[in-house]
Amino acid sequence: MSRTARLVLFFAALLVAVPLGILGLIGLPSFGHHVSTYGDVVDAMGTDLRHVTNMVALVTFDVRGFDTLGEEFILFSAVTGVTMLLRGDRGEGTSADPVRIPHRRREGRSEAVTGTARWLGPMTLLFGIYVTLHGQLTPGGGFQGGSIIAAATLLIYLGEGYPAWRKIVRSVLLDLSEAAGVGIYLVAGLVPLLAGATYLENILPLGEVGSLLSGGLIPILNAGVALAVAGGFCSIAIEFLEETREPNEDET
Amino acid sequence: MSVLPYLIAGWLFVIGLYGVVSSRNYMHLIGCLTVIQSSTYVLLLAIGYHEGRPAPIFSDHPSGPAVDPVVQALVLTDVVVGAAVSALLLTLVLQLKKRRGTLDPDELSPERD
Amino acid sequence: MILVVALLLLVAVTGLGVVLTREPRRQVLAIAANGLVMGLLFLALQAPDVAYSQIVIGSAIQPLLFMVTLASLRTTRSDK
Repeated sequence: MSRTARLVLFFAALLVAVPLGILGLIGLPSFGHHVSTYGDVVDAMGTDLRHVTNMVALVTFDVRGFDTLGEEFILFSAVTGVTMLLRGDRGEGTSADPVRIPHRRREGRSEAVTGTARWLGPMTLLFGIYVTLHGQLTPGGGFQGGSIIAAATLLIYLGEGYPAWRKIVRSVLLDLSEAAGVGIYLVAGLVPLLAGATYLENILPLGEVGSLLSGGLIPILNAGVALAVAGGFCSIAIEFLEETREPNEDET
Repeated sequence: MSVLPYLIAGWLFVIGLYGVVSSRNYMHLIGCLTVIQSSTYVLLLAIGYHEGRPAPIFSDHPSGPAVDPVVQALVLTDVVVGAAVSALLLTLVLQLKKRRGTLDPDELSPERD
Repeated sequence: MILVVALLLLVAVTGLGVVLTREPRRQVLAIAANGLVMGLLFLALQAPDVAYSQIVIGSAIQPLLFMVTLASLRTTRSDK
């Protein structure tokens, strides 16, 4: 289909779809006055029921824990897809030499960047772990903490350069963390079955409200998700960055 | 005012779709796809918002009526998983460049071997 | 309430910016700006959890992935 035909078709479709869409949007409850009973019930009963203070974590890992298992699988298969597609062409070897681009001078890394990254990297890592561990109490959790941890390792790359980063962040470790994260989620769901409960039912001791170990199953699932997300994003980054390297014949 | 957030969500969807339709570069197309994705986030969170109520985190204030946590949980997981999926799309772009040497959708006709 | 309206309009404008910036290298910056504004909007909508992940993913990790892909695209030689 040519470009003009595509645009004509698009605007013709808009003529029909936009009035219908606006009609539908106007029918929604007016902004600032939501009417969902489900959310209100969770807000009212959540703290007494599971001894956690973050209702979003409660919904993600307890009330709708099975949904999150699905999300974990989407993440896992996306990361597997990226790794397979990129490694399929390139092989598993790693290389330290960047590809040379003609007519482009390579600038060294300034000391200010290295210094800042050395300060910020460990602190961001610590913050990511903190956010993960306090997921059931304050805003945060496995998904956020995992991506902050991934961002922290990328700061190491920014400061130290690719070869040093490859030495610190091992690909095998990332694969392990990714697999272990998804595995923890799966197995933690199976444990309640032994006690005669249903899959992912929260039957562990709930602990005190506000303590680091409250919420029974929720902190465990949080940790699993954090491992999976951090491992996943780091290995995506490694696979992409390896694409910009000169293929190294010795290692393959 | 009471429908403005929904209209913004609709706007983001429409311009994202326009970008996808009129794109000349697959990298640009994936960027537009993220705009379409973000329209769903705006819509969901706007539906869950309740004026004057606090966030559904009761660590520093007593529990009571709050903003809807269910839609927030939906969006929260999707933000992270969506980024991983767009990384998969970026990989496909890299493969396309290697195999066909172009990123323009119009230059790609079915390959005949 | 004014904050929410202002951020909504900013999201609309930066979203348009992402679509209209046709040059991929510039679009990366537009994507990062859009991600950051979206994160602030979520914060204003009383969703701190979502704001966390949106700010980290939308304004740091996703633009970085785009940038690295662009760097790889510059260095890939097509097979043909």
